Amino acid sequence: MNFTGQVAVVTGGATGIGRAIVLKLADKGAAVMIADINEEAAEVTAAEVAEISGSSSAFTTDVTNVAACEGLAQATIDSVGPADFLINNAGIAGSPGWQTRSHSTEDDWKLTYHVNVIGMSNVTSAFQQQMIKRRSGRIVNLASVAGREGRPSLSHYSASKAAVISLTQSTALELARFNITVNAICPGLLWTPMWEQVGDRYAHDVPAYEGMTPRQVFDTMIAEKIPMQKEQTPEDVADAVAFFVSDDAKNITGQALNVDGGFYMR
Amino acid sequence: MYLTMDFEGKTAVVTGGARGIGRGIALELAALGSNVVIADMAEESAREVVAEIKAGGTRSYYCETDVTQQWSTDDMVEAALEEYGQLDVLVNNAGVGGSSGFTTRKKPLVEDWQATFDVNVYGMVNGTQSVEKYMVDRGYGKIVNISSISGRVGRSGFASYAASKAAAINVSQAWAYKLASHGINVNAVCPGLIWTPLWQDIAKWRKATDEQNAGMTPRQIFQQTVSESVPLGREQTPEDIGKAVAFLASDRARSITGQALNVDGGIRMN
Repeated sequence: MNFTGQVAVVTGGATGIGRAIVLKLADKGAAVMIADINEEAAEVTAAEVAEISGSSSAFTTDVTNVAACEGLAQATIDSVGPADFLINNAGIAGSPGWQTRSHSTEDDWKLTYHVNVIGMSNVTSAFQQQMIKRRSGRIVNLASVAGREGRPSLSHYSASKAAVISLTQSTALELARFNITVNAICPGLLWTPMWEQVGDRYAHDVPAYEGMTPRQVFDTMIAEKIPMQKEQTPEDVADAVAFFVSDDAKNITGQALNVDGGFYMR
Repeated sequence: MYLTMDFEGKTAVVTGGARGIGRGIALELAALGSNVVIADMAEESAREVVAEIKAGGTRSYYCETDVTQQWSTDDMVEAALEEYGQLDVLVNNAGVGGSSGFTTRKKPLVEDWQATFDVNVYGMVNGTQSVEKYMVDRGYGKIVNISSISGRVGRSGFASYAASKAAAINVSQAWAYKLASHGINVNAVCPGLIWTPLWQDIAKWRKATDEQNAGMTPRQIFQQTVSESVPLGREQTPEDIGKAVAFLASDRARSITGQALNVDGGIRMN
């Protein structure tokens, strides 16, 4: 798996799972464009990448803004070249303060859907022409095991991730004839800033976890739900992304792969 | 060129490794550094694969194996351990389309149901049971089972084959649960349309049973199926399956278990 000479774009690439994906692709030689709403963190990660593969760039992007996504697509061509790989990773779990509420508000529903689903569609639309023109491309969308079946207390998030799986399939069908593959990855339980919020929410809203710290909720769920009995890591997800964008997976499209220690099997 | 040599010093057993998809898997694992045991009943083809692997620089031998017999898969595992000292990967790939003569029948006979179950399902169980204790004691192991996209949903046609492949996915999940806490990953790959001896049989069966296909060669029937049903517009290859198996059998997939991955150009999306 050698990505030297290839260009990858990772949305939400500054921190968490996105950062691990960025570092993995850079480690295999890709030039990486880091698109993130957090400018400062993106610059830090971009500097790390420059050390590894010698080529990186960062672009402040709000994926809910169509013009910003088009700006990102152009900036990618100008700075590192047309995109070979697009990793749609940017995502949120609710509107500000969601983790301490005991129900999903209209704002939670709308903002989560806007970032996780419409934002993904915006970025894909902005980049697909670059890929169609070259009759080549790989798109990987980050869904979640929460998108495989409904989860208590996370209805808005779970529904948005189910939509991501559906969007992945539609996009795969639309772009297949241009030799572009589109797949999704469904991460399981990872101790990231986002899961800290989920743990907080469960402690507030799910009787079984009442009064626990977020980390205690997380550890309890690992013990109860994960057959492999251990948490997953951003590196686990990054390895799966690297597989999907490689030539090894050239005949795989429209699939959603769970990286979840056996949490949800299909 | 940078290559991930995931399997350097490791040993894999591939059942049905002499031909078709199994051969593709065996060659891919060998190319990534693995010693590979070709467990099969087709001696001549198996010996050709063994020679090809040896020419590439890793070790290999032919092990005559009938996966429908527990004693035979027990012998297969015992011999591999004796020869190489360790066994890291088991690929349960051996499969049949029906009992002999199925290509000329319109409807599966009870013999077809039995043959597909014995080899495609129970053969997988035998292989897994033979390697289970060793892998559990060691706290490490990778098992990859070859199912099929026809196992994803029932269709009219050769129901016996499709049902056996659905069972193969279920068996993979059952053992994934059972072995997860022992550091053993069990996953399945569902190949799409691949021009192998098995698909040649399927094409012959379609030619014999469907008037619309009467004037076509088996290869033409295959190509028509590809163009009608594969979104990416091309057939899949044994190499594609080999690469997916190599990923799932590697430590790159350490947190993936109980999954079935379609390698089918987008025919069926899961």
